[in-house]
Amino acid sequence: MKIETSRFGQIDIEDDKIITLPDGMLGFTGTRFILLTPEKPTPFRWLQSVDDPALAFVVVDAQQVLPDYAVSLTSEEYTRLALDEKTEVVILLVVTLAGESGSITVNLQGPVVLNPNRMLAKQIVLEGNRFPTKFPLFGTDTVDKNSGACCSR
Amino acid sequence: MLVLTRKMGETITIGDQIRIKVVEMKGNQVRLGIEAPGDMRIYREEIYLKVQKENQMAANWSLDDLENAVGFAGAGKE
Repeated sequence: MKIETSRFGQIDIEDDKIITLPDGMLGFTGTRFILLTPEKPTPFRWLQSVDDPALAFVVVDAQQVLPDYAVSLTSEEYTRLALDEKTEVVILLVVTLAGESGSITVNLQGPVVLNPNRMLAKQIVLEGNRFPTKFPLFGTDTVDKNSGACCSR
Repeated sequence: MLVLTRKMGETITIGDQIRIKVVEMKGNQVRLGIEAPGDMRIYREEIYLKVQKENQMAANWSLDDLENAVGFAGAGKE
């Protein structure tokens, strides 16, 4: 099916690539998303809404950027995601790009847990101070407004 | 919304598995003791709202921001 996106134009995707988030992303409506992977190597992927062309989140695979990050699911969530013992979930962290400080942060408090076999996902909210909503992705000191934005490609 | 009045030490039960007890009252603060199945997620509403707000910030990005971010990521690997 063809879907409209405000950032990437029209995209043609196979129906089985659609991820359903029955509970949506917190604060947003729409339950169908696709995960887009860029051509050039970068940790960033995009969770694009199928229902709202303007809605997309930049995400990273937690395993890739923070291998120690782990989430324990409740039995309710386990059922909601149609998980079984064999399924390995994918944990996506939502990235907040370039606020005024120029920092790039990931939200450790609200990870999106994906069952890749069933294409079902859910944003989970974790209690506690161990999980900041703004965790610097590249360490606080590496983000330098003056030198960082240049980048030869 | 169901509104109930409880005194110090009294409890509300929700379904078969959830009990909420008034443990302490001090000024405008109430301490609640919550008994619920072990793996149920219980959190202060602020945390939920914080994640919601962070989602809103996260959704507000442009392709320029992304270019910059990809640059940072690339620089980090060198």
